[in-house]
Amino acid sequence: MTGRAVLRNTAAIAGIGQTAYAKALEPTAWELAVEAVLAACADAGVDVADVDGMCRFTAPFETVSEAMLVRALGIRELSFFAQAPHGGEALGAVVAHAAAAVSAGLANVVVVYRALSQSKGGRFGRADRGDGADRGATDPDTDIVVPEQDNLSFAWPYGLMSPGQLFALWARRYAAVHGLTDEDLTRTLGTIAITQRQYANRNPAAMMRDRKLDWDTYRGARMISEPLRLFDLCLENDGACAFVITSAQTARALRDDPVYVLSATQTLSPYREPMGIYTGGEMLELFPPAAADRLFGQAGVTRQDIDVAELYDATSYMTLRSLESYGFAAGGAGWRYVLEQGTGPDSPLPVNTHGGHLSEAYLHGMNGILEAVRQLRGTASSQVAGAEVALVGAPAGSATILAR
Amino acid sequence: MAVVPGMTELTAPYWQAASEGRLVVQECGSCGRLTHPPLPACPRCHGRDLGWRAVSGTGTVYSYTIVRHPTHFAFAGQIPYTIALVELTEGPWLISAITGCEPAEVHAGMPVRATFRQLTDAVTLPYFEPAR
Repeated sequence: MTGRAVLRNTAAIAGIGQTAYAKALEPTAWELAVEAVLAACADAGVDVADVDGMCRFTAPFETVSEAMLVRALGIRELSFFAQAPHGGEALGAVVAHAAAAVSAGLANVVVVYRALSQSKGGRFGRADRGDGADRGATDPDTDIVVPEQDNLSFAWPYGLMSPGQLFALWARRYAAVHGLTDEDLTRTLGTIAITQRQYANRNPAAMMRDRKLDWDTYRGARMISEPLRLFDLCLENDGACAFVITSAQTARALRDDPVYVLSATQTLSPYREPMGIYTGGEMLELFPPAAADRLFGQAGVTRQDIDVAELYDATSYMTLRSLESYGFAAGGAGWRYVLEQGTGPDSPLPVNTHGGHLSEAYLHGMNGILEAVRQLRGTASSQVAGAEVALVGAPAGSATILAR
Repeated sequence: MAVVPGMTELTAPYWQAASEGRLVVQECGSCGRLTHPPLPACPRCHGRDLGWRAVSGTGTVYSYTIVRHPTHFAFAGQIPYTIALVELTEGPWLISAITGCEPAEVHAGMPVRATFRQLTDAVTLPYFEPAR
C-alpha cells in the first residue's frame, strides 16, 4: 500500500447520503439537495453547521447553489466553494477539488452534492424542454435561433441536439473502426444493459429494481438514435446525492471505515471537450491515454488492483468505451471482453454494480461514487467480496480512484 | 418553424457563403491550416490573419446516426433523419445531415458531396448526398 501518493493520506469520504430516486418526486431540487446533504452529514457523524466547504457541478446542470444550501441548512460560513463544468465529466473534478481543498487547509468538512429534478426542469433527452431550451420560440411561425456556444450552432440546425444522438455517432464509429457487425454491437451493448439491469434488480434503491430485462425486450425496444435502443440510454429522473470529504485523519476519527481518495483527475485538451461535438483525430479516443496513466500513477495502483468500477453510462456504449479508455481492455478489444468476460458479479471486473445510470438512476456520476463507497465499506447490494480499490470514471477522463 | 444558426462575427462568413451555395472553411493566412468551426486564432501558429477558403465539398462519412426518436418538436416531422460527421477531402470535419438516399444506404466511409438546402429566406445549410 506504500507509494499511494498525493491524496491517499490526506483526504477521505466520511459520509454519503441520497434521496429516493424516481421519475418524478414531489420535492424540488432544493429540497432534495437538503435531504441528501443532511443524510451525508448524518452518515459522517458531522453537524451540518460545521460544514465549511462545498463543491458542485456548474449551472445549468446544478440548479441548487451553495448559497441556497448555506441559507437553508444554517451553515455558519463556507471558507471554500467551487464548481466544475461539463456535466458528468465533473465527477472526478468535484472529488479532486474537495480533496485538494481539505489537503490545502482551505476547509475541513467539504460537502459535494448533486440534485436533479428533471420532472420539473428539462430532461436531458429532450432538447425542447427546460430552461430556455425552446429558445423562446413557442409558436410554429417563429424560427429557433441557436446561439453560438461550444459549436451548438453548427449542430442543432441538423437535429443533433441530445447526448444520446452524439453517443450514437461514437458507437457507430466504434463498430466501423473495429469491424463489428450490427449483431456484434447489439450483443455487446445488450450484454451491458442486461447485466446492469440484473444488478439493479438486487438494489433496493434502484428505479428498475422490479423490472426485469431480457433479450427479447432489449432487442424489441424501439431505436432512439441508431444503433442505440431505448435500453441503451440512461434513465431520466429526480433525486439527489451527496458525500462528505474530510481529512483522512478526521475521517478516521469519525468512523471505522473511511474511504480514501487515492487520486482524482480532470483532463481537457483541444477537441477533446467532454461532450464535444467537434473532435479531431480519432473520435474514439475521448481523452489522452496520459490522463488515465496519471490517474493510476497518482493513486499508486495498477489496473489489476481495481476490484470494482463504476463507469459513467449515459449510454451503454460509454461503459464499453470506458473499459478501453481506462485500460481494462485493449483498444478495440472491449466488445469481445464484454461478450466473453462480461461485467457481472463473477467477471474479472464487476462494473456498475448498482445498476448504473441505465438502471439505478441518473445522478450524473454521483451515484457511482456513492456505490463505490458502499463497495469499499462492504455494504453494497451486489457486494464484490473483499473490494479494496474502486474506480469511478467518466468517458472523457474525469475519474477518481478510491480505496478502503 | 426552422432551427437556424445564430451567427457571430466569427461564424457569419461561413453561413453567408452557404447561402450562396459555397462551402468554405477558415484558413490561416500564415500557415495555411484549415479549421472548422472557426477560431479567433490559428491553433497551430497563433496567426491572426484568418480568412476563408472555398473547399471542394467532397468528403466521406466518418460516422452517422439515424435518428428515429425526436428530441425536439421542430424535428418531429423529419423522423427518421440521418446525422453525419463528414470528413472533408481537405481535412476538416463537419456535422451535417445526409440527404438524397435511404438511411439504410448510409455507411461509414461513404463518399459524399455537398448540396445546399435553403431553410429560410436568410439561411441555407450545407447537407451531403452520396457522390455517385
